[in-house]
Amino acid sequence: MPVELTRVDEVLWEIPAAARADMRVPARIFADSELLDAIAEDDSLEQLQNVATLPGIVDAALAMPDIHQGYGFPVGTVAATEPPHGVISPGGVGYDINCGVRLLALPLTLAELGGRKERLVHELSRAIPAAAPRGAGGGLSPGELDAVLVDGPRSLLDEGLATHADVEHTESRGRLDGADPARVSQRARQRGAPQLGTMGSGNHFVEVQSVARVFDAAAASAFGLAEGQLTVLIHSGSRGLGHQVCTDYVRRMDAALAGHGIELPDRQLSCAPISSDDARAYRAAMAAAANFAWANRQVIAHRVRQAVRAVAGGAAADATRQVYDVAHNVAKIERHGGREVCVHRKGATRAFAAGSEEVPAAYRDVGQPVFIPGSMGTSSFVLVGRPPAMERSFGTVCHGAGRALSRTAARKRIGGAELRRQLEGAGITVRCPSNRGLAEEAPFAYKAVEKVVAVVERAGLAARVAELRPAGVVKG
Amino acid sequence: MYRWIEHTGEVELEIDSDSEESVFADALDAVSELLRDADDEDFAGAAGPRLERTISLTAEDRARLLAAWLGELAFLAETEGLVPDGLSDLRVGNGVLDATVHGYESDPPHLIKAVTYHRLWFAPQRGRWRAHAVLDV
Repeated sequence: MPVELTRVDEVLWEIPAAARADMRVPARIFADSELLDAIAEDDSLEQLQNVATLPGIVDAALAMPDIHQGYGFPVGTVAATEPPHGVISPGGVGYDINCGVRLLALPLTLAELGGRKERLVHELSRAIPAAAPRGAGGGLSPGELDAVLVDGPRSLLDEGLATHADVEHTESRGRLDGADPARVSQRARQRGAPQLGTMGSGNHFVEVQSVARVFDAAAASAFGLAEGQLTVLIHSGSRGLGHQVCTDYVRRMDAALAGHGIELPDRQLSCAPISSDDARAYRAAMAAAANFAWANRQVIAHRVRQAVRAVAGGAAADATRQVYDVAHNVAKIERHGGREVCVHRKGATRAFAAGSEEVPAAYRDVGQPVFIPGSMGTSSFVLVGRPPAMERSFGTVCHGAGRALSRTAARKRIGGAELRRQLEGAGITVRCPSNRGLAEEAPFAYKAVEKVVAVVERAGLAARVAELRPAGVVKG
Repeated sequence: MYRWIEHTGEVELEIDSDSEESVFADALDAVSELLRDADDEDFAGAAGPRLERTISLTAEDRARLLAAWLGELAFLAETEGLVPDGLSDLRVGNGVLDATVHGYESDPPHLIKAVTYHRLWFAPQRGRWRAHAVLDV
């Protein structure tokens, strides 16, 4: 069924609430005409309208320019609901709770690394497994896992796996309050206990990059980035633990929908009023999974430093600094427009403007850093949150380039071995055990990240700070 | 019989079988294909020791039982490296499933994160049994 779209401004489109009887608010999409045409090719817009039916949703169901078809929520969605009767939806956070990105800045340039680049990528691939090695024991003990679930990276300080500076430069300082390990099922614990410090497969990666261009010298200086500098971008999440938490609570809330008097167009949107016991339990489990994800990226960052130590020496490793770590799958209670709301970000990144106390003190005068990975082999961007984001998108921007082709379609167009040759030919060192996995992440399977970033910049949500060009990638 | 449907972000499974039980057997075959990564020569011969697991599941209805079944296979693959290749003693009825899964230990490179409830469907249709599920990979 064709969707009725009204152009609000140059890069904002709206589907009015009246478009469907069950929509409570409009659906709004940040996009230019070209991206909108691509977005309209799959079920994204219908799924966005489904989100607009959630009880207690306020303002609008918002889509970022990297939106693509998901399940329940499309990927690239922001939805805020107002407590106490507004709902929280586990599917609106997604299975990979607190999937996110962390950027590390090395104290040397790509030119200074020189011929050691191949070795660095190799060391990273050795140090950071995609999956937990089987037969290597159960990983974290129950007590260690509880500590990670409650305290995130802070639980790793005493072991030397994290620094206070790392914690300070992490969204929410790496800990969502209210985490309760008792709300995390035994099955989720079993999946997660061996997986701390593993990357996962799919679109997760660790990428070696260099700063190719600086757009905003003041912000880049605040973030400690300069042209030519080496960076490492880590993309991973809460692994099997988060996947199971979401599975458990989608099932629980689905079974309780009638009891809460909620009717939905898609079972995957299952939800419960924020004041309910079901929601309280989910929030406690989600917070635990989010903390696990921050700790997971923390251990990966530690392993990056170990690889840097092996290749470039201890001084370089010790001076490898965390720029920031930001989630793109999470739900948080925040104040916007003078009221408290539960902001679901599903494939969308928090991007608070300068002045927010949520932004680390060192960046508070410029705004929160945001990292937008491109597709494999293309540039990524460092952005900074701008004040209009607080007015227009609950302080949120996009999270990546956004898929344009299915995995099957990508595999039909190129084989993994050929793609590996092309990337290596372009000077990008590749370590990926699976040719299929590599082909599924081919650059042409994604939208052009430059266009996605241009839209959020034109909308005033964020501004470009730096462009990061890939030099090597490790994939699960 | 099963087939994969185009989905921008994930994988979408459609099953068409001659009995309710066969839907579960076909679902196992689909998961096996996904895990084996037949296109990837690096993993084609990575079969380890034989494994056998007995499974009992309950759910509110057929569709949710299928999701639980797929979820159980995903769990076994992630936690034990079990790549399934056979099934015995399958009994399905009234939201209950009992079965023994056979397979081998391996390091499947492509795990299934979760089985969603999006477009989850399982019903008799024109003398056949049809089902549908979206998997987060």
